[in-house]
Amino acid sequence: MKQANNNEVDLLLRSLARGRDESALQNRSGSGDGNRATSYHLDADELNSYAEGVVPASARARYTEHLADCDACRGIVVSLTSAAGAAIRSEAPEQKGGLAFWQKLGSLFSPAVLRYAVPALVLTAVIGISLLAMWQQRRQPEFIAQNQPADSSTSTGQLGQTESPTNQSTNEASSTIQKRSESPAATDLFKEKNNLQDDKTRVAQGAGTGTGEVARGAPTAKSAGQPEEPTSQLELRPSYAPEPKAAAAPPAAATLSEADKSTQLAKEQPAKREDQERQRDVGKNTPSAEHGPNRSAAPRTAGAPLSNRRLDGLSAGRRGPYGQDKKDKAGEVETRTVSGRRFAREGNAWVDTSYDSSRTPIKVARGSEQFRALVADEPELRAIAEQLNGVVIVVWKNRAYRIQ
Amino acid sequence: MSQRTEQIEKLFAEGARRLLARAADNHSLTGEALIPRIRAAVGKYVLRDDPQAAPEVVKDFIDKLQADDLCLIVACEQGNQKAWSDLVERFSTTVRSAARSASSNEEGAEDLAQSIWAELHGLRVRDDGKPAGKLAYYSGRGSLAGWLRAVVAQLAVDQHRKQSRLVQTEEDADFDRIIQHGQEENTWSGHGEAVNPELEISKKLAGAEMQKALATSIKQLSAEDRLLVKLYYFDGLRLREAGAVLGVHEATASRRLTRVHAELRQQVERILTDQGWTKPETERAFSEVALHLEADIEPLLATEGVLMKKENEIAG
Repeated sequence: MKQANNNEVDLLLRSLARGRDESALQNRSGSGDGNRATSYHLDADELNSYAEGVVPASARARYTEHLADCDACRGIVVSLTSAAGAAIRSEAPEQKGGLAFWQKLGSLFSPAVLRYAVPALVLTAVIGISLLAMWQQRRQPEFIAQNQPADSSTSTGQLGQTESPTNQSTNEASSTIQKRSESPAATDLFKEKNNLQDDKTRVAQGAGTGTGEVARGAPTAKSAGQPEEPTSQLELRPSYAPEPKAAAAPPAAATLSEADKSTQLAKEQPAKREDQERQRDVGKNTPSAEHGPNRSAAPRTAGAPLSNRRLDGLSAGRRGPYGQDKKDKAGEVETRTVSGRRFAREGNAWVDTSYDSSRTPIKVARGSEQFRALVADEPELRAIAEQLNGVVIVVWKNRAYRIQ
Repeated sequence: MSQRTEQIEKLFAEGARRLLARAADNHSLTGEALIPRIRAAVGKYVLRDDPQAAPEVVKDFIDKLQADDLCLIVACEQGNQKAWSDLVERFSTTVRSAARSASSNEEGAEDLAQSIWAELHGLRVRDDGKPAGKLAYYSGRGSLAGWLRAVVAQLAVDQHRKQSRLVQTEEDADFDRIIQHGQEENTWSGHGEAVNPELEISKKLAGAEMQKALATSIKQLSAEDRLLVKLYYFDGLRLREAGAVLGVHEATASRRLTRVHAELRQQVERILTDQGWTKPETERAFSEVALHLEADIEPLLATEGVLMKKENEIAG
């Protein structure tokens, strides 16, 4: 209501200004500048001092009074202000160039800079640590899967037996952080690298000799190397057990041992992850394809619930990085979270989930004066407008804005 | 001499000494040469509005004067040729740039720049035998470059007025003819559908009454607010530019404008109520005027373009 009132007054003022311009055009006479009669004009010194903002407060009020009514003086002050602004801008680099090293250093640690730099550094550090943690979480199963063929080729029948040297080193590599406290990091990394290369070679050899079940040894290595993993897998096994039946897998698969199933599961995880990443990449390039029927190459009939369960159960940690940009499986609605606000995609627009469609949003064009003034007051809105392309409808401080 | 006057004069003398000490090149000036200039500046900017200003205020004012620029100008005024050369060398670019901004062509700009130096030096001679130039009016409060730009702008306005008087009669006749022509053929609106949308609204919705009330309300605003309204609506400045003139940030100018809108609306409603309008009538009139103006905003903007084009054609 208040905004509407302001708009009405704004339109009236524009109309009044235009009417005045036209009447000035029609009444051109005398001075020739449409200026109203004033008893005196400000001299050059007063005009310049006002434009440069160096007039004492008491005198300033008097000059402001005059400028509000005198078009000629106001015109000169406006031109001087813009010229002074341009002069300051052109002089600024020279001043910077003349700064001494200690002055530069001091300016880097000035409160004005630290006020923004410290939170930014903390935020960067938090993001970096969380990314590192997630990367390690992701890397762990991949690494185990990579090492599985080596174990199967060397010790297929060694289930439950004592750890071989290879398994020990694999175990070391998969839990580098734990082991770092026990042995030098460089040695661990060297061992890890060597083992990886050995394992890859063995996998290649195994594949070449027709050993199709090289991955079956993985659970062996996993169970031997990571005592915690089998426990968690045992807990999950009932939910995965029906998969071959539901997906109408070959009969041979149904006869797999528990270890084999786990192996297959471990083998499927990286493959599915790759598939998901591929889908995401495709989705980025062709947004319309996201809603198409062929989003996944795998059949979604019986396998879909299972894979969903897997995502929920096994790779919940993996979903972290993508938690902010995801699609709601039920409604196929793409959502994003920016500056603590959640947005759903509706056509080309990002709509705040708390937006009530019965409300009329205030239209703000990107790059307009209103937009600049708004984002100057509300920096979070700037972040939202920068991170979301196209039309954005956001509810902010009990007001709805349509940024376009 | 009263104690107050003595105190102030002492401040001037001390201030002049500090000014000379601050200047990188004081052009061998003495404190006595600067005191009259300082006295004039303090009287103009401080004592005129606050005759009982505290000594600290006067001292602070003097210490904020541009020492180098003021010494240079005073030296020039005293006929120091080296100072003149220095002035011309340092500021000829500034003067030429300002002249170019104020003139429509290069030739006019060159003439204007040349006449500025003559004006600064002074073509007439004062009673004391020194040239009566504009240099005497530089107080040192603002920068010398800015002051020179202001002098150029004022001189350009004066020259424009003189030229305008010569061609006024013919120009007025041209304007009258164009306006009459436009009104007859509806070409001023740029669309030919209505004579002028705003006039239509005024007739239909008693918009004229409302605009009259609005004009009265603007006059009742504070000087700062009135200046903001003039800069933004009447001079067509952006909020950033208007804020720069007022010495405030764009966001502050925006907030201030929003407050002014509310004040103006209240004031207009009060005036109209005094004239016998009821509150619902006032509100309806506001919304109807806004509705029509909003609907016609595109044609109005187009009209602005047509008007500017016509003005340019006439001027060019």
